Amino acid sequence: MIEVVDLVKHYRASDGGIVKAVDGVSFAVAAGEMVGLLGANGAGKTTTLRVLATLLKPTSGTAFVGGRDVREDPVGVRRRLGYVSATTGVPDRLTPREVFDSFGRLHGLDPAARAARVERLLDVLGLRSCADRPAGRLSSGQRQRVSVGRALVHDPPALVLDEPTSALDVVGSRDLLTLLIDLRAEGHAILLSTHRLHEIEHRCDRFVVIHGGRVVTTGTRADLVAAAPSDGPATLEAAFFAAIDATAAGAPP
Amino acid sequence: MNAARSGWRGGLRAAVAIARRDLVEFVRDRRTLFITLLLPVATYPILALSTALGVRTAAVEIEAERAPVPIVVVASGRDAAAFAARVAAVDASVTGAARQEWPASLRLDVVLPEEARRRVDAGEADLWIETRPRIITDLDSRGTVAIPVRWSDRRPLPQQVRSQFEVVMKAVAADARTRRLAAAGLPADLLEPLTLSYAATKPGEAPAAPKPIAPVVAGGVLVLLAVLTLTGAFYPAIDAIAGEKERGTIETLLIAPCAPRDIVFGKFLAVFAVTVATLVVNVLSICATGAVAGRFLPQGLSLGLPAGGLPIVVSVLAFVGLAALSAATCLAVTTAAKSGKEAQNTLTPVILLVSALAGTALLPGMQAASPIAAVPFAGQVLVGRAAFDLADGAAGSSLAVLAGLAVTLVSSCLLTGLLLALTSLMLTDEDILFRGPDVAASGLARPGRRDRPTVVEGIVPLVGGLAALWYAQGLTPDDLALAIPLQQVLTVLGPLMLAVWWQRVNLVRTFSLRWPWGLPLGAGTPVGRVVASVGGAALVGAGMFGLGAAALLAVKGTSLSVEAEDLNRRLLDLMLQRPTWLAWCLMALVPAVCEEFLFRGWVLAAFTGGGRSLRRVTAAVVAQAACFAVFHLLPERMPQTFALGLALGAMTVATHSILPAIVCHLVHNSLPLVLVMLAGGRTALARAVESAGASDGVTTIPPWAVVAAVISTACGIALLAAGTRAARDAGQSRSDER
Repeated sequence: MIEVVDLVKHYRASDGGIVKAVDGVSFAVAAGEMVGLLGANGAGKTTTLRVLATLLKPTSGTAFVGGRDVREDPVGVRRRLGYVSATTGVPDRLTPREVFDSFGRLHGLDPAARAARVERLLDVLGLRSCADRPAGRLSSGQRQRVSVGRALVHDPPALVLDEPTSALDVVGSRDLLTLLIDLRAEGHAILLSTHRLHEIEHRCDRFVVIHGGRVVTTGTRADLVAAAPSDGPATLEAAFFAAIDATAAGAPP
Repeated sequence: MNAARSGWRGGLRAAVAIARRDLVEFVRDRRTLFITLLLPVATYPILALSTALGVRTAAVEIEAERAPVPIVVVASGRDAAAFAARVAAVDASVTGAARQEWPASLRLDVVLPEEARRRVDAGEADLWIETRPRIITDLDSRGTVAIPVRWSDRRPLPQQVRSQFEVVMKAVAADARTRRLAAAGLPADLLEPLTLSYAATKPGEAPAAPKPIAPVVAGGVLVLLAVLTLTGAFYPAIDAIAGEKERGTIETLLIAPCAPRDIVFGKFLAVFAVTVATLVVNVLSICATGAVAGRFLPQGLSLGLPAGGLPIVVSVLAFVGLAALSAATCLAVTTAAKSGKEAQNTLTPVILLVSALAGTALLPGMQAASPIAAVPFAGQVLVGRAAFDLADGAAGSSLAVLAGLAVTLVSSCLLTGLLLALTSLMLTDEDILFRGPDVAASGLARPGRRDRPTVVEGIVPLVGGLAALWYAQGLTPDDLALAIPLQQVLTVLGPLMLAVWWQRVNLVRTFSLRWPWGLPLGAGTPVGRVVASVGGAALVGAGMFGLGAAALLAVKGTSLSVEAEDLNRRLLDLMLQRPTWLAWCLMALVPAVCEEFLFRGWVLAAFTGGGRSLRRVTAAVVAQAACFAVFHLLPERMPQTFALGLALGAMTVATHSILPAIVCHLVHNSLPLVLVMLAGGRTALARAVESAGASDGVTTIPPWAVVAAVISTACGIALLAAGTRAARDAGQSRSDER
């Protein structure tokens, strides 16, 4: 459903040099699968996800969402993708109902389908009680749920989330992740990036660890833990540190 | 391509959805409501009230100056008593209309000089006159009698005392004149060959209609309306893109299944709707204020709204165009901003600039049926004012006003489209979209090395150049031999070199420093390509000169503007008085090189931004051609320079080289000199000028010349197209180089 193929994205830095934000990343996410994209700050996670969301153009390589190429058919990609990031906000002066309705309209849903979808999202996301309250008066957890609902309004088969829990408390994070698991069960392909490894450790099917713009390891939690040195704790976090430390020390990825 | 797939219906649906969403947001924003509704509702009554107070104060002052006042005069001198008696007799004899502006009372006391001085100084008398001996005899016989009039230096003499005393003295003089005529045995009306009497055609009707004030204040009100209409777009435009960036919601739109231009069009529709609402509220407020003010106008004045409503309809239509232009301008200016505050800082100077531009329409001599009608913000005011002037009986025709309206509407549409295209480019510019706060905070830090300038950076030297163009007018001498190099350095090279130094761009990519169709300059000279491209470009340049001249003569004839006439005269002087090689360098070589590096190098690279899609490249070529046309300032030459700019931009994009554009520009500008040489050289030209006048020598271009120009242009385009096709077939066209 989501496929990243030898993706390269270079920026021009303020000192004139080239920043290789993403340098040949490849991985895939199948339908009904939730994959965690892990990496330190500056590893290239957000850039990869922005390319998937067609917000950035790749320097070389490409990515596909639902079989559509981000280079060749960005509109087709957007029809099949829901995108949420820590920085995507919600219009303060619109209510959750209006937000869902306006984006449903933007995606070309007919009025009946739109109304049904809006009501379902309000129920699924637990926003019924504040459905007609301006988003500016909602809590950060409620706003984040509105943001997720906005990404789901056209029922996309693929979902890309960039640190969606960073502004949430533990309860909000748990509820959101539970929702994502439900969506996975419905067959959505989910690519999730976060720094809170403990939250997704037992929820994601697979993990892709990137460092310095390159994939350093990939696999299930068990694969990553097994590849880590045996003297440390058997956690995803320890396996993550081991993978990026090995890369920093010069081991081949 | 993405836009093509989404289809225009899908794009329009997305645009309408975005517009609806934004409108709901705007309506819930207090600032927008305040600007849209309250500002116009409050502004015009305040303006009318302050104007009414001013008029009333002025009327009271005028009335006070005209009101009869009692005047006390002291007279001294030997025959003062006789003079006082004469004045008293005149005072008693003058009646009726002759007593207009007469003092309320006049007392003339005869006293000694010391007493007269004391009374005047003490304020007991207003004036002191000294009469000379035999004054009455002199008055009634011949010569002019001078009467010194004095007043106290301790207090100023009221104007009404002076003017009303003069009225009395004029009556005394008239009395003396009658006596002189009688003494000479001449009729009393000898020196009054003509008198006027005013009367209405029917008894009892008012002699004159009250003076209408609508045409008088229309210009000022239209300027205010233009500024307030623009302010209607102020907050919605800031909120539409910069506000979305600040709230983090712009990304949610950019990942919607539509093209960036659909998003921009949706935003435009919403801002335009609010701006039109502002316009409507303004117009209603003006009408309501006018109706109220009409009841309280002083006697002799009326509101005087023109019958038929043509001026109002013309003004409203012109201002709908202005509303569209305002919305597009505000969006374009604020798109690069990261936050609402940054957008406000950018947009506020634009409001001031536009106010000044709108105000220029009030300058005397501005005609609606002129290219000035196409100038944004000034044109709309000009057309509206012309319509009101016409209704007030000024010279002109309805056709001229309607032509002006058509020009201003077409200009508004074109500029709005251009600005929206620019906004679309900036909206998806990665550097602008994901510009971090660190870059925004360090405005004076030189940016890092990059391939090409951004769109905004592309515009900066143009703005600097235009400003320099204005200031250079005060510095440049009349002699073009000095003026051209100075102007090129100040307005083109200077801003361009500063921008290049500051931006540290890749010079090869930005200025297309390659052989035509791809090879780097250092890779040997591909003779065949150079010949093909240079030949094609030269033919296009020559052909476009001929076509441009023919079109200009066909449309304008020889009735050029004063500025164009002046430029033609100076160019003629340059050709006649300077060596041919110098004239060629100044007229052709220097502008061709400098302007090509600015427009087909810097500006085109900035607008293209490395994009390869046909839409992006086309928009960039059109935008740089528009800038090129505006930069040449003379309105009648703008269509010609725009077409030339399109051709130069297209050949630069097609050949990936600036060389053909320089050659084309060079040939285009060299043609006047070449034609002079072909026509027998400078001596023959001087003779022709002497016999026919500077600008009347050529009134038409012969048909064979037009045909030759068409053939030349077509052959040049064919040559360039063949070269492009050959390069592509050979796989040597480097599509990634621009």
